[in-house]
Amino acid sequence: MLDRKKLARLALVAIAFISADTWIYSSLRGAFRSIMSDTRFKEITLFAKTAPRDAAAQADWIKGAADLLAGSRSVYLAVEASGELAVAAGDQNLAALLRTDAEQPDFKKGIDSVRYLEPFVSTKEYSLASGPGASGSGRIYFAPVPDDSGADIRGALVIFSAASETDRFDGLLLGLAVVALVIFLAIYSVLAFSRDPAMGFAILGLFAIVAAFVAYPLFEALRLTFVVKGAFSLGIWKEILTPRYLEALWGSVRLGLWTATTSTLVGFAFAFLVERSSARGKKFISTMATLPVISPPFSLTLSIILLFGNNGLISRQLLGLSHFTIYGLNGLVIVQTIGMFPIAFMTLSSVLRAIDSTVEDAALDLGASRLRTFLTITLPLAMPGVLSAWLLVFTNSLADFANPLLLSGSYRVLSTEAYMEVTGRNNLGGGAALSLLLLLPTLTAFFAQRYWITRKSYVTVTGKPSTRLTELASRPVLIGLLAFVGFCVVFIVALYGTIVAGCFVKNWGIDYSFTLSNIPEALSRGWKAIVDTVTLAAIATPIAGLLAMTAALVVVRATFFGKRLLEALIMTPFAVPGTLIGIAYILAFNKPPILLVGTAAIIVLNYVVRELPVGLETGAASLRQIDPAIEEAARDLGADTPTVFRTIVLPLIRPAFISSMSYTFVRSMTAVSAIIFLISARWYHLTVQIYNFSELLRFGWASVLATTLIIIVLAAFGLMRLLVRDEGLTEKTISQ
Amino acid sequence: MSQNSVSVTVRDVTKRFKNTKGREDIFAVRNSDFVVAPGELVTLLGPSGCGKTTTLRMIAGFELPSSGRILIGEEDVTLLPPNLRDTATVFQSYGLFPHMNVADNVAYGLRVRKLPRAEIETKVRAALGLVGLSELADRAPGRLSGGQQQRVALARSLVIEPKVLLLDEPLSNLDALLREQMRIEIRRIQKSLGITAVYVTHDRVEAMSLSDRVVVMKDGIIRQIGVPSAIYSEPDSCFVAGFVGKVAFFPVRVESAGEGGSANCTLSGKAIRAGSAAAGLKGGDEATLMARPESLRLADAGEGAVDGRVTANVYLGSSVECFVGTDYGEILVQIDDLSASRLHAEGAAVSIAFDEERVRLLPTRAD
Repeated sequence: MLDRKKLARLALVAIAFISADTWIYSSLRGAFRSIMSDTRFKEITLFAKTAPRDAAAQADWIKGAADLLAGSRSVYLAVEASGELAVAAGDQNLAALLRTDAEQPDFKKGIDSVRYLEPFVSTKEYSLASGPGASGSGRIYFAPVPDDSGADIRGALVIFSAASETDRFDGLLLGLAVVALVIFLAIYSVLAFSRDPAMGFAILGLFAIVAAFVAYPLFEALRLTFVVKGAFSLGIWKEILTPRYLEALWGSVRLGLWTATTSTLVGFAFAFLVERSSARGKKFISTMATLPVISPPFSLTLSIILLFGNNGLISRQLLGLSHFTIYGLNGLVIVQTIGMFPIAFMTLSSVLRAIDSTVEDAALDLGASRLRTFLTITLPLAMPGVLSAWLLVFTNSLADFANPLLLSGSYRVLSTEAYMEVTGRNNLGGGAALSLLLLLPTLTAFFAQRYWITRKSYVTVTGKPSTRLTELASRPVLIGLLAFVGFCVVFIVALYGTIVAGCFVKNWGIDYSFTLSNIPEALSRGWKAIVDTVTLAAIATPIAGLLAMTAALVVVRATFFGKRLLEALIMTPFAVPGTLIGIAYILAFNKPPILLVGTAAIIVLNYVVRELPVGLETGAASLRQIDPAIEEAARDLGADTPTVFRTIVLPLIRPAFISSMSYTFVRSMTAVSAIIFLISARWYHLTVQIYNFSELLRFGWASVLATTLIIIVLAAFGLMRLLVRDEGLTEKTISQ
Repeated sequence: MSQNSVSVTVRDVTKRFKNTKGREDIFAVRNSDFVVAPGELVTLLGPSGCGKTTTLRMIAGFELPSSGRILIGEEDVTLLPPNLRDTATVFQSYGLFPHMNVADNVAYGLRVRKLPRAEIETKVRAALGLVGLSELADRAPGRLSGGQQQRVALARSLVIEPKVLLLDEPLSNLDALLREQMRIEIRRIQKSLGITAVYVTHDRVEAMSLSDRVVVMKDGIIRQIGVPSAIYSEPDSCFVAGFVGKVAFFPVRVESAGEGGSANCTLSGKAIRAGSAAAGLKGGDEATLMARPESLRLADAGEGAVDGRVTANVYLGSSVECFVGTDYGEILVQIDDLSASRLHAEGAAVSIAFDEERVRLLPTRAD
C-alpha cells in the first residue's frame, strides 16, 4: 500500500499545508497583536492624562499604572527646567533600563514622539534585568502627559508590558494550527492510503470521539487532583487519604460486600426456581425478577422511605416504632438488593440454563442424594456464574449514587461523598480524587469478572436444550423457596404500589386523605424537567445507536493498528462509576479548547459515551452471527462501505440496533450519577427533580414524577418489543 | 449479456500472514504466477489450506497481496477495493442477503450502480431466466433449496455483467447429483457468455470436467498448470498424480532415456519401458513409476511385472476395481472387460502387467 509515489505526494501536500497553516497563524497573530497594542495605546494614553502635578501624589499614581496591565512596570518622566525629560517616580528597574539604553534608537524615537504628543511603542522587545517578579520580555510604551494648554507636555508615562498575555493567545492559536494540521494529515492519509476510506474515517472518527470524551476528561480528572492553584501538589491526595474519607471508602466497600452477597442469594433462588425446578408461574417469576432493573433511580428508595421512613406507613403508623430508622447501611442493603438482584438473576439463569441436566442425572444415577448432587455437581458448575454475578452486583453497588443520596443518613459512601465535595465545598479536585478512589475496587472487580472468571467457565453451550428436568429440590425445599420468592415478589409489588399510592395522598405520614391535586401540581412544576429529559434522551438515542453499530462493524470486521486500544477506550465508561465521569466532564469541559459546561451538548455526549459500550457489545454479538460472505457479496457487487452498512449490515442487525437504542433511551431517562453534575438551569433532568422534591419532603410530587418516569420507561420497552417482534423470519434465515 | 472478454494475470503474487505466536510468517501463497486467457475457465485445485481460496480472494480484492501484481485485462487492480473491480464472486456459502427476496438479491448490484428501474427489471428477469428461477422471484432466500440458492447467487453475480466470474467452491454444499447438474449448467452459462472465470475447488472430478485448464496447488505453491488431460496423464510430480486421480506408484531405477520422451527403467531388476517421463530424469536416478488403474491389467501369475494376490473385487457396474496385494502395497487394477475369464477370485495369485505406453516416470520426492 505504501508506495513511493504516494509518500512523495503526501510529503508535498504536507509541506503545502504546513506553509499555509504557518502563514495563517502568523498573520492572525500579527493582527491580534496590533489590535492588542491599539487598545493598550488608548488605555495608556487615557491613563497618562490623569497624572497628578504633585510629586508626592505621582508616586502613588504610578503604582496604579501597574494595575492597568498585568505584569507591567512603569515610570513617570517629568519635564525638568532644562526641558529634558527625567525620571520622577516609578519602577527602579525600568528607570535603570531607560538610563543605560538612552541612546537606543527605539527610546530616542519614543521620547521624540512623546514631545509631539504622539504615543509610541518600542519596535523591539526588552527584558528587565532583575527585580521582584521579573516577568520576561515585553514592549515599552511611551505616552505623553499633556499640560493644561494641550499643546505641550509636562511629562511622559513609560510602561513596560510583559508579553505573557499575548502569549496565551498565541498558545491557543498555535494549538489550533497544530490540530488543523493533524486533522488534515489524518484525513489526507486515509484518503490516499486506505483502500476503504469510509472505514478509515469511521475508525478515525471513533478514535477522535473516545479521545475527546473518554480519555481526555478522565485524564484531566486525574491530572487536576495533583494540581493546587496552578502548581503541582500532593495536597488533595494528602487530604483525601485521611481517616475521614477512608471511612467512606470502607463504607462503600462494606455496602458492596453486603449487597453483592444478598443479591446473589436472592438472584440464585429466583434463577434456580425458574431454570431448575418444575414450579409453575415461571414466566411471572422471571418478569418480576427483571422488573426492578428498569426502575428509575430514587423510585425504590422513595417508596422505602414512604413505608419505613421516620414517618413511614409501616414503621410508624402500623408498628408504631419511634426509634427505628431505615436510613443507613441496613436500608441501603435492602434497596440495593431489590434494585440489583435482577443482574444476578439474569447472569445466574443463563448459567443454570446452560448446565446440561444429564450430568445431574448421572450423579443421581450413581447413587448421590439430591442435596449431594446439588452441592457436588450443580453448584460447582454454576460457581463461575455465581462469582461473576457477585462481582457484577458489587461493581454496581459501589457505583450506585442515587440510593445513598437519599437513604444513607449518617452512613457515608464514596459516591455521595464526592458529590458533597463538589457541590457542598466546591472542591472539584477533591471530588475527582474521591471518585478515583472508588475506581480501585470497581476496576478490580471489573477485570476479575471480565478476564478471570469468564475464562474459568466450565459451561459449554451445546445448543441442545435438555428436554426433561430432574427435580433437584425436594418438596419442602421447593415450598420454602417458593415462599421466599413469593415474599420478595410481594415486597417488590408493594414498593411499586406505594409509589403509585403516593401520588394520591395529601401529605404522606401526616394526612393520608385522598387527593388528585398532586398530579397537576407536580406535572406543572416538573414539566420543564420532563421535556428536557425526553428531548435530550431522544437526541442521544439515534446518535448512540448508529455510533454503536458503526463501532460494532469496525470492531468485528476491520483489522487495524490500535484496535484493542479503541475497544478498551469505548468500553471504559462501562467500568467507570458515573460520579467520576460527571466530575471529569465538568473538570475537562469548563474551559477551552472544549467549553461545554451548561450546554445540552455535554449531556447528550455523556449519554452517548456512557451507553456506547452496551450498544457495541450487543451489535458485535449480533454481527458475529452473520456470515461475512453476505457483506463481501454486497461489496463485490459494487457497494462501497457506507452502502453496505446502510443496505445490508443495519437491516441484518436491526434487533440489536433497536434494542441498543431503547436501552440508551431508558438509561438516559433514568441517569443520575453523572448527570447531576452536568445539568444547569437551562437543561434540567427529571431524576434530579424527583430528588429535589424528596429532599423538600414533597413525597406526593416526587411520586407523581417517579410514576411518570416509570410509565415512559415501560412505554419505551414496549415499543421496542413491538418493533423487534416481526424479526423472527430474518433472524432464522441469517443462520442458514 | 455478452461482453468483450478480458484476461486475468496473477504475477508473482505472494501472500504472507503475520504469525502472532511464532516468529516466522505463514505463507498462504508463494510466488504464484499464471494468466487466465479471455473467455477461459481456469480451476484452482488443491487440498484445503493450499492457498487456492486466498488466491481467488486476492483476485476479487478481499485480500491484498504481500507482493506481486494482479491485472484484469491491462489494468493493474492490485490495490483496487472489491467494489471497484469488474469481478463478481459466487461464494461457497452463497452470501445471499437474507432480508431481501430473490429478485431484490439479483437486483442489488444493479441498484448500487443506479440503473433505471425498467432496465433493472428487464435484466433481473433475464438473469433469473438464465438460471431457471423465474418462478421464484418473490421467495425469501431462506425458503429455497441449496441448489436454488446456488442459482440465485450465480444470477446475482452474472447480472452485473462482470468481466471476470470468480467461483469459490460453489458446489461444495450440494448433494452429489445436484452437483453434477450444476457443474454442467455453470459450464454452459460460462461458455455461452464467453466470460473469463476462475473456479476454486478441491474436487478433482469437478476440476477435470469443468475447466479449460487446471492450476494444481499445494502449500501455497503452484505445482502444475495444464489442460485436464495433461494434468491427469502427464503429471510432473507424485503429488499431482495422486491428487487428480487414483494411481499406483512403484520405486524404479532409470536406465536410459528412450525415444520420443519414453524411458527405460528397472523395477526390482525387471526392465520396464515407460511411455513418458517427467523432465530432468537421467540414467541412474531413483524414480517413481506411476500407473493409473486403467493402464494396468491382470495376467496369470508370473507373467506380468509384479506378482500378488487378489484381496478384493469391487463391482462398479461398468467396470470392476480389483485390489491386488503386492510387495509394493495394495495396487488397484481397473478391469473394463467383465467377461469371466478376466476376473480372478479373491485370494487368487495373479500378476500385474503394465500398459507401457500409458505408464509414466516421475521424480521421487517426498511430498
